[in-house]
Amino acid sequence: MGRVIVITSGKGGVGKTTTTANVGTALAMLGKKIVMVDTDIGLRNLDVVMGLENRIVYDIVDAVRGNCRLKQALIKDKRLENLFLLPAAQTKDKTAISTEQMVELCEKLKEEFDFVVIDCPAGIEHGFKNAIAGAEQAVVVTTPEVSAVRDADRIIGLLEAAGIADPTLIINRIRTNMVRSGDMMSVDDILDILAINLLGIVPDDDAIVISTNRGEPTVLDDNSRPGQAFRNIARRINGEEVPLMSLDEKQGFFGRLKHMLKAD
Amino acid sequence: MRNSWPASISNRPTMLYEKSLRSGQNIDFDGNVVVLGDVNPGAEIIASGHILVMGSLRGLVHAGATGEEGATVTALHFAPTQLRIASHITRPPDGADNEQKPAETARIRNDEVVIEKYQAPR
Repeated sequence: MGRVIVITSGKGGVGKTTTTANVGTALAMLGKKIVMVDTDIGLRNLDVVMGLENRIVYDIVDAVRGNCRLKQALIKDKRLENLFLLPAAQTKDKTAISTEQMVELCEKLKEEFDFVVIDCPAGIEHGFKNAIAGAEQAVVVTTPEVSAVRDADRIIGLLEAAGIADPTLIINRIRTNMVRSGDMMSVDDILDILAINLLGIVPDDDAIVISTNRGEPTVLDDNSRPGQAFRNIARRINGEEVPLMSLDEKQGFFGRLKHMLKAD
Repeated sequence: MRNSWPASISNRPTMLYEKSLRSGQNIDFDGNVVVLGDVNPGAEIIASGHILVMGSLRGLVHAGATGEEGATVTALHFAPTQLRIASHITRPPDGADNEQKPAETARIRNDEVVIEKYQAPR
């Protein structure tokens, strides 16, 4: 029996889809059989970020309505054979599926996969309720910004009210130099308000923009620092104890020279 | 021996909330409210009596909501987004820093809201 994990945030644009794609891929790299489910119906992105949008024939709405068999809607990843995507529909909206249908879908997927990773849309309305309906576990993603943390707090309250206990936290897009100069919230500031267990921290990095635009999850790149962070997060989800990686940017002489020349 | 108690705020029922209040959650209570935890920004407590927060108060509180000017608000870390006592509405000064001060209490004195260091009444 697999575990159903929902990746949620409240706030839009903090990295839920990026997290789903990378954690899903990293878990598959560990040998697990994974399905990633995009529940952002009408604004689907997970397929783009995985580089699989050209392969979509059936989507989650088709599967749930019986227009096709569930297996026909699952897209196998082009790099890893134990990684699958159930894409959202683009030409419908979030009212196209009910929470009961989501619960049933998750029950079916649990039987086939080690992990079902659900990409939740932003917001707290129908899309959110659908995404959490079949989930046992939640990962809340936030950035170190006051507005994102407010929304994350709201979401945690709603998760607890829905009976999903002990959500864990990913802090995404941290810039250690800004934290040091006091311009950005620190990990402790965030945990002081949100008061849930920390699952991982991901540094802000150009590598993410490149990887999402190309449709190649950054965990596949050994040199990527956010990739390393997401691989660590996947290992923790899988039960391993992995120490938090140091986020201090390593700068050699040329790195520091470049930094001096860039600063105005 | 007089047996009639004045109808003071402290005789009202008191609710004890044993967790933190998260953004979007609220308590509306006719009486006093004690929170064993934090009150996060976006959370609200509206009480007819006193409000005590055994943690960080960072949300919105309204004590004495039915008009009782003797109501007070106390918190271990006092940093509400907005503070109301009876019909008085106040907010922290712009650019207020978040330094750690000891427990504080807000009350109405001479028709304005004052915030002082918490002291147990004698």
